Amino acid sequence: MPQPVQYRGMTLIVPDNDSEWKEFYEHARAHRLVVRKCNACGLMRYPPTHACPWCMDLGWTWQEVSGRGTIYSYEIVAHAIQPGFKELTPYAVVLVELDEQRGRPTADEALRVIANLVKPDFTPEPEANVAIGKRVRVVFQDLADHMALPQFTLTEEPAQGRVWRLPG
Amino acid sequence: MKTLRDKYCIVGVGETEYSRSSRRTTRAMAVEAIRKAIIDAGLKAADVDGMLDYQGGDSTLANSVASDLGIRFNFYMDVMGGGSSTEALVGLAMGAIEAGMCNTVAIYRSMNGYSEFRIGGTGARAAQPVRGLDLAQVPYGMRSAGQSFAPTFMRHMYEYGTTSEQVAHVRVAHSKHASQNPKALLKERVTVQDVLNSRWIVKPLHLLDCCLETDNATCIIVTSVERARDLKPRPVYIMGVAGRVSKPRLDFHWAHGPISRVAGYYAKDIVFPQAGITPEDIDVTGSYDAFTFTTMLQLEEYGFCKKGEGGAYVSSGIIELGGKRPNNTSGSHLCEGYTHGMSMVIENVRQLRGTVDDYCPRAAEGVHTYDYSPGRCRQVKDAEISMNLGWAMPATGSALIMRR
Ligand SMILES: [Zn+2]
Repeated sequence: MPQPVQYRGMTLIVPDNDSEWKEFYEHARAHRLVVRKCNACGLMRYPPTHACPWCMDLGWTWQEVSGRGTIYSYEIVAHAIQPGFKELTPYAVVLVELDEQRGRPTADEALRVIANLVKPDFTPEPEANVAIGKRVRVVFQDLADHMALPQFTLTEEPAQGRVWRLPG
Repeated sequence: MKTLRDKYCIVGVGETEYSRSSRRTTRAMAVEAIRKAIIDAGLKAADVDGMLDYQGGDSTLANSVASDLGIRFNFYMDVMGGGSSTEALVGLAMGAIEAGMCNTVAIYRSMNGYSEFRIGGTGARAAQPVRGLDLAQVPYGMRSAGQSFAPTFMRHMYEYGTTSEQVAHVRVAHSKHASQNPKALLKERVTVQDVLNSRWIVKPLHLLDCCLETDNATCIIVTSVERARDLKPRPVYIMGVAGRVSKPRLDFHWAHGPISRVAGYYAKDIVFPQAGITPEDIDVTGSYDAFTFTTMLQLEEYGFCKKGEGGAYVSSGIIELGGKRPNNTSGSHLCEGYTHGMSMVIENVRQLRGTVDDYCPRAAEGVHTYDYSPGRCRQVKDAEISMNLGWAMPATGSALIMRR
């Protein structure tokens, strides 16, 4: 069913026999952010994997999460490598820590997701607004009938902890 | 952890010219580098019966390279792997010899890293489709090494107050060292302000925070102490080695913080007990400087300073020639040329031999001036113990401790 998806000059391939991403992107196309939840210990994990990294159980179910979180780290790409991104520079890549399962099962672990920080029209959020500690929520950039990319956008919620951005 | 301290040696090293346009195949370059290392060791081709190499689909396998040189194998293996493979393969070579599989192993890396396959994902790598785990980051314009590593440094700045100015001192030190290295591609010394004034690549990294993609081949020859005894050069003894040690969740290391921690956190507990020494005993370090901050993070993680104080440490003068513990005395990836980790081990072998190939007229005989002004000497006086800190990514690293 899924044909390769062309996006910004890249060929994104999720073959029919893909057992990690195919359903993840179908959920995303329905505008649901899902992660895998272990049937045995109940811990969630991202990206999609086949056994639980904490208890090795093979059983899992897709679990929808709120898609709300906090910017944990980020970068601003000034020199794009992929040709399709050159017109977007400077653009932000953010590491978002989701609200669910923060600091579990150990203090430094969390559900973290890489995406772009975008405005409602999916253009890059201006660099001056990108900072560690700012609150974000997931939005979905539809790419094809069977695929959407999760992205993040700023919310009006108060920041979590210290807000910091690279000086200058 | 078991140790094979002082039972194995590096007896030969060699490399091709570093260039941005080799105009030849990785096979041709590999043959030249291996031949030089064999001659350096005082060996003949027939004495080399083992071979290891590493690559990422961008090089020539051992079978053709060895045949060019007339080498017949008792053991060989081609390894898929990037940075930090150097130290790991030194350890695997020791293991193969220890197991009785062979006697002497040549390790090589050959790459047209600028003119053909650029690590950053441009050149021949640009057209590769995105699938599997790459889908978690590449569709977001996060593909090159700089783009993949930058959030680690950004978080370190947030947690510890580390600054761009502090890590710029790594470039300053390495450029100083490259000015004493006839092989180096960039021999001009730079200032902190030069680094800060260079254009942004991916914030927080400037152009001069990044290493220099290069065409080259490099080779290191490992053998046993018994075999080394009757060879010409002074053997360099391997005291400890840790190879491709990882953080948890190597599929997506961001899931398991602190993300400002790198794999050396785990590797140090393997390599220092093997060697029976502490960081204070090390005279010279060679760290994988894909970027200025990778050197900072590794020196910190291996305990050369406290966690979080790496910025202050690398800007203190300690890591420069003439300082207490010089780092990357060849100029290495930032200034000499990018070799995927090999050249920092080669440089430390030469440092421990006392025969660094600088501008001193009698360098090959071990006679140096120790004058560290531009275009002169880069030999560290009385260097007895060196350490290499290998890096593939924040979550994977290797280490190697050697003595003369
Ligand atoms: Zn589980």
